[in-house]
Amino acid sequence: MNYQTPERRRALAADYAIGLMPPTARKRFEHLLLDDGALRAELARWQNHLTLLTEPLVEQPVPEHVWQAVVARIEPQTLHVPLKRPFWNWLRLGAVACSLLIVLTAGLLYNRDSVQYQATLLSGTAQPGLRIEAHADYLKVRPLELSAVEAGRSLELWAIPVEGKPVSLGLIPADGDGRIALSQSQQQLIRVPVVLAVSLEPQGGSPTGQPTGPVLYQGPLATL
Amino acid sequence: MIGTTPQPELTSTDDWSDALTVFDGRVAILITDADDLATLLAQCSLGNRRAFETLYRTVAPRLHSVALRCMGRSDLAQDVVQESFVRIWHNASRYEAHVSAPLTWMITITRNLAIDQLRKHRELPLSDLQQDALADESPSAHEQLDSARAASALGHCLERLEGMQRQSITIAYFQGLSASELAHTLDAPLGSVKSWIRRGMERLRRCLES
Repeated sequence: MNYQTPERRRALAADYAIGLMPPTARKRFEHLLLDDGALRAELARWQNHLTLLTEPLVEQPVPEHVWQAVVARIEPQTLHVPLKRPFWNWLRLGAVACSLLIVLTAGLLYNRDSVQYQATLLSGTAQPGLRIEAHADYLKVRPLELSAVEAGRSLELWAIPVEGKPVSLGLIPADGDGRIALSQSQQQLIRVPVVLAVSLEPQGGSPTGQPTGPVLYQGPLATL
Repeated sequence: MIGTTPQPELTSTDDWSDALTVFDGRVAILITDADDLATLLAQCSLGNRRAFETLYRTVAPRLHSVALRCMGRSDLAQDVVQESFVRIWHNASRYEAHVSAPLTWMITITRNLAIDQLRKHRELPLSDLQQDALADESPSAHEQLDSARAASALGHCLERLEGMQRQSITIAYFQGLSASELAHTLDAPLGSVKSWIRRGMERLRRCLES
């Protein structure tokens, strides 16, 4: 059926409004109404006029039980109340409060100090050397089987973007266990996929800003 | 309402502005304005139960009159009123103020629920209910209505319809009869019934929008 010409739309809306449509056509028209504001407006004009047919009707008082029934329908939970309602309600309320507290606490802890990314850096022989956990503003370094570093040397941690030069994240603490604080730009850097690498550098880190010594460990930083 | 003439009779006549009535010791707010009804509907859509009760106290007698006219039996009419307000509560957010007047929207809900019920009843074998409802459309009932609407714009426009146009529109509106059921009831050809209704509707609308 063609619903496009204004005359046709007007006539169909009239048929629908007065109730002349057979059930299948009615359903199809109702489906069209959902997405067609102009058709709804056209229908409403007919309905506005037809409503005038009810105007001469004398208002009829409604018995109070009808209102009670309406209230019961829109608030069904006030019906079918179990006898031990106060106890169960308190218990339920208590349980809700407890779980809310737990969620909030966990959420605060999580937001404050959650591990967001993690990397296990492997040696050239694929031995896990150390594990790095990325928190919001620092890296936690845990040694696994970290080679001893001779005096006068430092291990430096690098982030290597997919396309780009390595960026220093700082020195691995001497005993291999500890934290490396991250600057804002470093935090930005590790939000995208990067490879972490540890190179052997002169004590205090690379003098050039780029790795100068051999890469001892490396591995991708993965989202948890 | 887009481009239609305002319908002062619908929103500000005395017949339902008497809504200032004492209920349970509380005084319901006097509601005569379509804007007020629209505001109440908006508050209902936000879950405001007090607004809903005010709306109910104001509009229920009006909707009841429509339901009673359709159903012809007060127990069935009350069920329709109850269902109407449940719908109004749950669908208040769907009311489109720019499309129709609040009362039109609510009356349409009631009328549609009523004729849905009547259609279901009619799927059963011919019942007393149907007999009664159809008996209501006797010429004497029309004559009573006619005197009541004599002064209104609608009355004026209905006067300009031919008898069969007016009768078939009225039956279709309040009884929800399909065209073929109407043809059977009025003992007239199907094509004639359809043309009475369609031409009557067009004439009515042109008159009301002129």
